[in-house]
Amino acid sequence: MRRRIEIGILYSRQGSYALMSEACYTGAMNAIAQVNDDPALDIELVPVERDPKCSIDLYQPLCAEILRDTSARHVVGCMTSWSRKEVIPGLERAGGTLWYATPYEGFEASDHVVYTHACPNQHLLPLLHWAFDRYGRSAFLTGSNYIWGWEMNRVARDVITAAKGEVLGERYLPIGDTAIDHMIDEIRASRPNFIVNSLIGSSSYAFLRAYAELGRQDSYFRADTCPVLSCNLTECELEELGEAAEGLISAGPYFRGQVGWPDHPKQDFGSSLEASAFFAVYTLAGLLSRSPQAETAGLADLLASSEAAKAGIDAETHHTALPVLIAQVEGGKFDVLEKWPALAADPYLSRRSRVPYARWPNLTVVK
Amino acid sequence: MKKRLHIPSLGGARAVILHRPHATVQALGRQLAAIGLEFSDQWPDLSAYTLGADFVFFDADMGYDAQFPWDPGEAPMPMIALIGSEAPGRVEWALAQGADTQLHKPVGDSGVYSALLIARHAFEARRSLAVEISDLRARLDERQTVVRAVTLLATRGQSEAQAYAQLRQLAMAWQVTIEQAAQRIVARMAEENDGGRDDKSRRT
Repeated sequence: MRRRIEIGILYSRQGSYALMSEACYTGAMNAIAQVNDDPALDIELVPVERDPKCSIDLYQPLCAEILRDTSARHVVGCMTSWSRKEVIPGLERAGGTLWYATPYEGFEASDHVVYTHACPNQHLLPLLHWAFDRYGRSAFLTGSNYIWGWEMNRVARDVITAAKGEVLGERYLPIGDTAIDHMIDEIRASRPNFIVNSLIGSSSYAFLRAYAELGRQDSYFRADTCPVLSCNLTECELEELGEAAEGLISAGPYFRGQVGWPDHPKQDFGSSLEASAFFAVYTLAGLLSRSPQAETAGLADLLASSEAAKAGIDAETHHTALPVLIAQVEGGKFDVLEKWPALAADPYLSRRSRVPYARWPNLTVVK
Repeated sequence: MKKRLHIPSLGGARAVILHRPHATVQALGRQLAAIGLEFSDQWPDLSAYTLGADFVFFDADMGYDAQFPWDPGEAPMPMIALIGSEAPGRVEWALAQGADTQLHKPVGDSGVYSALLIARHAFEARRSLAVEISDLRARLDERQTVVRAVTLLATRGQSEAQAYAQLRQLAMAWQVTIEQAAQRIVARMAEENDGGRDDKSRRT
């Protein structure tokens, strides 16, 4: 007899970044179905779904509703850092846990969150160092106007400056805004070696289409000479982007067709977002199975188990050790160009050993 | 261009938590470990480890002057007050200890990283101000020397304004402050006067 355990699902299924959150939703729901079929587990997960529709003010009340009206203590969800920060105080009050399956900008290690996607030492830092050698060190930084864009670009600026590179421009758009002409004009005028794209959703799509058009007008702005780099672009947005995605370079723990992570037999994931949400639910199921007390145990106790460590979740930071892959879109799919084995997260960028690329700026030999 | 915050390298930095064993210490310790710092908690006396620490978190509720191996306000590292009771007497005491920033008790699951950055920034600003002030004080103390140097230079047939201009030029040529140049001139002229009078007495 399987124990029934409710689990919150808090993903936006419509709105400006719905493609990304839909990928996470798919991963979480597939994991629930497989957990419920897995003879090795003695639990049945029952999803409690809420849809915040990409509206920032709906996350906190819907998360509170899950924790108040159901027995769910674990919620898988949130896409933007802004929404994650909105729900943390409520999780703290109710003793709940958020499993957060999206790449983010780091500088957080909440007692009530488990982070199952990459933070900057697992995406941005390796990506920048990789790009320095191939394209040069002058960059144009773009971002959506909230913490993800701001902090990614601050870290990028630090890394670029430390490597004696140059930031030629830094521009932001509000989430959902598609007025990108000004940004494109500045890029055309400044001719950087590469562009770091931390825009999300419809702003990102508008930008990438306009940049592809710029490349048709002026061949300098093509992937060979001035590529667009991203830390959150995955397969789930390729169809929407079509031709405009060609040549894009992205960093992440998984790209379609790769094996190794998540460590699960016969599983083909559509994107790293789907893989990360799947990993979150499956890992949680493993921690809850065979131990009736685990349902009410605090997160610290759950993560202290050898099973959590085996899955790569660090009890100190609550972040996940992840492989680092760099891939480029070619013919509508990601072609992996570089791959490093699982790397522990360093959310505060304070441990220099946790960078796969040898030349972390502060270790560069001063000539 | 706005001034950018210098982000100190915190990996492997050492923090001391001066607090009796308590949930606050655990919560604080978890955040410090996540950020990458080493830490130890001590109560009531600070060990030798403290002098080499990069940060000190101290209990503002139960703390007292004698716990610290330095005078109030003279801590050689950034100080972060852990404030539970907001009674003015305790806030006053925490300020007298030279708190560079504060963290409220109970400590939850955030706040430590920003406290570290703000405390480090405030501490460095405080330290560089102290150096600047002591430098300015020293220069103020040399006012009389400057007056004497100008007077001595003026005895060589210059006006006071010309003598002061000459002093400035000498300071520039020697690449020292006006006060240091004045000291040299006064010493040199005293030597000249001395040397003219009695060589033997100087040797004994």
